[in-house]
Amino acid sequence: MANNRMLVGFFIASESIFFLMLILAYVNFHGSVTDGPTAVNSLNPVVTGIFSLFLFASSFTIWLAGKSLRNKNHFMLKVWILATIVLGAVFIFGQGLEWSGLLDKNITISRNVFGTTFFTLTGFHGFHVCVGLIMLSLLLGLALAGDFKGPKSDAVECISLYWHFVDGVWVVVFSVIYLWAFL
Amino acid sequence: MSSRIPLVPENAVPLPSLKANNGLLSWVSSIDHKQIGIMYLIITLIYFLLGGLEALLIRVQLAHPGNDFLTPELYNQLFTMHGTTMIFFVVMPFLIGVGVYLLPLMIGARDMAFPRLNALSFWLFFFGGILLYYSFFTQSGAPDVGWFAYAPLSEKPFSLNKGPTYWALGLLASGIGSVASGLNNVVTILTMRTPGMTMRRIPLFVWMMLVTSLLLVFVIPIITAAFAMMLLDSILGATFFTPAHGGSAILWQHFFWGFGHPEVYILILPAFGIISEVIPVFSRKPIYGYEFVAASTVAIGLLSLGVWAHHMFAVGLGNAANAYFSLASMLIAIPTGVKVLNWVATMWGGRINFATPMLFGTAFIIEFVVGGLTGVAIASVPIDWVVTDSYFIVAHFHYAIFGGSVFAIFAGVYYWFPKFTGRMLSETLGKWHFWLTVIGFNMTFFIQHFLGVMGMPRRTYTYYDMPYWGSMNLISTIGAMILGLSVLIFVWNILVSLRHGRPAGDNPWNAWTLEWATTSPPAVENFELVPPVRGRRPLWDLAHPDMPDEPGAKTV
Amino acid sequence: MSVLHFLGTAWSFEPWAVIFALALIASYAALPGSRLNGKSLLFASGIFLMVLALVSPLDYLGRNYLFSAHMVQHILLLLVIPLMLLSGIPEKAAEKALALPIAGGVMKFLGNPIPAWLLGVGSMWVWHMPSLHDTVMKNENLYIAQQISFVLTGVIFWWPVFAPVKSGRLAPLAATLYLASACLGCTILGMLITFAGAGLYPAYANPADPAGILSYIRNDLCITPGVDQQIGGLTMWVPGCLIYLAASMVTIARWYASPEPDTVNIPAGEGSIAKAGSYVRD
Repeated sequence: MANNRMLVGFFIASESIFFLMLILAYVNFHGSVTDGPTAVNSLNPVVTGIFSLFLFASSFTIWLAGKSLRNKNHFMLKVWILATIVLGAVFIFGQGLEWSGLLDKNITISRNVFGTTFFTLTGFHGFHVCVGLIMLSLLLGLALAGDFKGPKSDAVECISLYWHFVDGVWVVVFSVIYLWAFL
Repeated sequence: MSSRIPLVPENAVPLPSLKANNGLLSWVSSIDHKQIGIMYLIITLIYFLLGGLEALLIRVQLAHPGNDFLTPELYNQLFTMHGTTMIFFVVMPFLIGVGVYLLPLMIGARDMAFPRLNALSFWLFFFGGILLYYSFFTQSGAPDVGWFAYAPLSEKPFSLNKGPTYWALGLLASGIGSVASGLNNVVTILTMRTPGMTMRRIPLFVWMMLVTSLLLVFVIPIITAAFAMMLLDSILGATFFTPAHGGSAILWQHFFWGFGHPEVYILILPAFGIISEVIPVFSRKPIYGYEFVAASTVAIGLLSLGVWAHHMFAVGLGNAANAYFSLASMLIAIPTGVKVLNWVATMWGGRINFATPMLFGTAFIIEFVVGGLTGVAIASVPIDWVVTDSYFIVAHFHYAIFGGSVFAIFAGVYYWFPKFTGRMLSETLGKWHFWLTVIGFNMTFFIQHFLGVMGMPRRTYTYYDMPYWGSMNLISTIGAMILGLSVLIFVWNILVSLRHGRPAGDNPWNAWTLEWATTSPPAVENFELVPPVRGRRPLWDLAHPDMPDEPGAKTV
Repeated sequence: MSVLHFLGTAWSFEPWAVIFALALIASYAALPGSRLNGKSLLFASGIFLMVLALVSPLDYLGRNYLFSAHMVQHILLLLVIPLMLLSGIPEKAAEKALALPIAGGVMKFLGNPIPAWLLGVGSMWVWHMPSLHDTVMKNENLYIAQQISFVLTGVIFWWPVFAPVKSGRLAPLAATLYLASACLGCTILGMLITFAGAGLYPAYANPADPAGILSYIRNDLCITPGVDQQIGGLTMWVPGCLIYLAASMVTIARWYASPEPDTVNIPAGEGSIAKAGSYVRD
């Protein structure tokens, strides 16, 4: 049904505005931190960049999953969904490492506006990744139960659309937080 | 491929009575758009009475200078809750609820595109409201920071109580519900239309709900993000809006009004839609300039996104910014004026039947124009600087939201009540309701223009005994009492008519849109067969096959 | 120097602007099957306005004194002039041009909504990155490239909405979303420029004052660098968005004016079954 994809499309547009506001808040305070932690003196772009590659790769694997379904290759469908979950989980693990490292250095959400905007922006993105992982796990369960006959499935298409969006948001967030500070 | 399962329990009964066959459970578990719509209407009526009661308490406190009927703390809580309730839990959900009820009927569909999502929207709204009102029972009391909750007043050092937190949480929940209904409406309108019901033939109410729903989808996330930031500030000690810790209080104003101004159009556009349905039917003429009404709605929707800073003229954004926003804000008068001209031109030369819906419709035009004109006046920066934060502003937005949206809501209730329930509302009580509303409303608010110009500040629990202030406020309070009486008559009318109202039949007003083609109230499936749609007024075409609206349809 | 004197003398007939205009006219004339009519008048006015924007004192002010003057010129070159040029191309000529092997293919690709949107909004954003803008102000060649790219990306941006060939146009509602989202992009940039602190574009903070009118601007007109930047940002934001808005009104007007395509396709007989809401399990 075109309905479902249209709904997800508008939902993503709505979510984009939500993230836009968080990004604008980050940008607004970008130059205003005079002392204490900032992106430049407390983040590690290389490590985060490497973990980001896992997230970007997961966009590719979910695309392959959809392709496998179109070819009615049910085995590869499950493999690629699983791969997507693993890649997304690695990314979230990386974000957890980064956060715990920052918290160890007493860089928290209440320390200054950098902490506030950084944790809010990456936190909401991480939350969306986790929601995506839950949906992908449901998808995997349904796939294992043999629910998807192919060649088309709205569930697979809608969730992969959402996943691409989460990925795309990270491209922007990564550019704004890390590339802007270090390039 | 997909398999469909039945959507509605077979025994669902679309009558607004909890005593109906299956009791409360059939309502709570319902995913039928008509039942959900009715639930929206009932809940908003309750909130309307609550918000009205709060307004009356405020007016009693202000009846004479130096009054101590309310403590300052309670006064602050009451005006905050009054504004928040009326905007987020009365006007907005009422319009969404009427939309949910009518959209599928008007476009000839069986239900919304996503019935379960529809139920989710309603319950998010429902529990959001409960969360907000629960704050009255907490130790610290209800939020007391105004419906705009300006930082840093709403932030930690200044607001140690939990009121603003309840406020943000309640509105966050109901806001997500609004986004969900916006999404549902958009997809429903775009994909569920019956054959022949093209986008150029949909009733104007549907068109305006489409634009409103797009606004909901794109604008609510702005405030959702701001609520999230505010909650992080108050719960986790983040510093978004606290200047003392590097945050920015102005940022809250930008975020709030970035949402808040389009919100005004979310409140008024569906009201325009109701009026655009009522006026043609009671003037016995097709709407004049359908295309202009539709296109101007899009213009208003787009313009509304870029003019929020006119709420912030007094902040000090700089003359350049003020001048541009002043200009852009005044531009909104053009598409709005186009609409008013279209309604008047529709009435011109028509055989007007002043039944209660039309009385409210006509009064809507007049009262809303007053609100619109004062709006153009305060879009000019020097005037705004004089009257900002005074009762002039209170008068202005009550003319826009009460004189506009609420008058249209009354028109809509009298117009569609027969369809919702199968019974007519009493015309006699309706006329009492109407005239008392008009008298009470104008008496309450017109005089506040003068009070504002004389310098009486809003959001203050009392005032000094300046010349004439006491008597003018007393007049305003008496007007509010009359308004309160009119609302009681309205409620009485509903209660009486539900049991004893004249049976309505399918189409009591001889209207032309598809919702009148089915029974009153509609059966669970809405239609046995949707009549063929060959123009903008399908029932007219059906009754007059020899002179259809669109000449081309004749040959079919 | 008096203002009148300034307005009389600050014209710069730069050869590249004239060459660019001539090139556009030549390619218009070379379009297969183009002839002189009302549309060519529109095209010619577009060219005239473009030359005016590039050689008049507006250009001089924008390059030497005022960011806001630069922004007015920018809006003209990116939004107004390309629209006039595009609307001046006759349908038949465009059809034939699109049938050409390579040029037609490129235009068909660029005319797709996503590349066109990215180019139109992107050229706004990229050229206004403060560091790049600063470089452009000092480098004549980059400046020429910038102005030409405004016009070209502008034409591409308008293509999905106002393409001379009807098949290239988006459906009206999609076109409105296309324009509204572009308006959002332009709004955010305008907003950032308006509310950023003064001095985002350092070239305008202390102009060299080659014409001796700086004291008039600063003292008589009271345009400080901060106000200048605000006016610039707001010019992009408010009038810029109004152009998108007016364009979407035009698409809606065109939509209502065109005949209803499916008047004949309504099912005959008594009526049809209502569509049900969807609850889909795959």
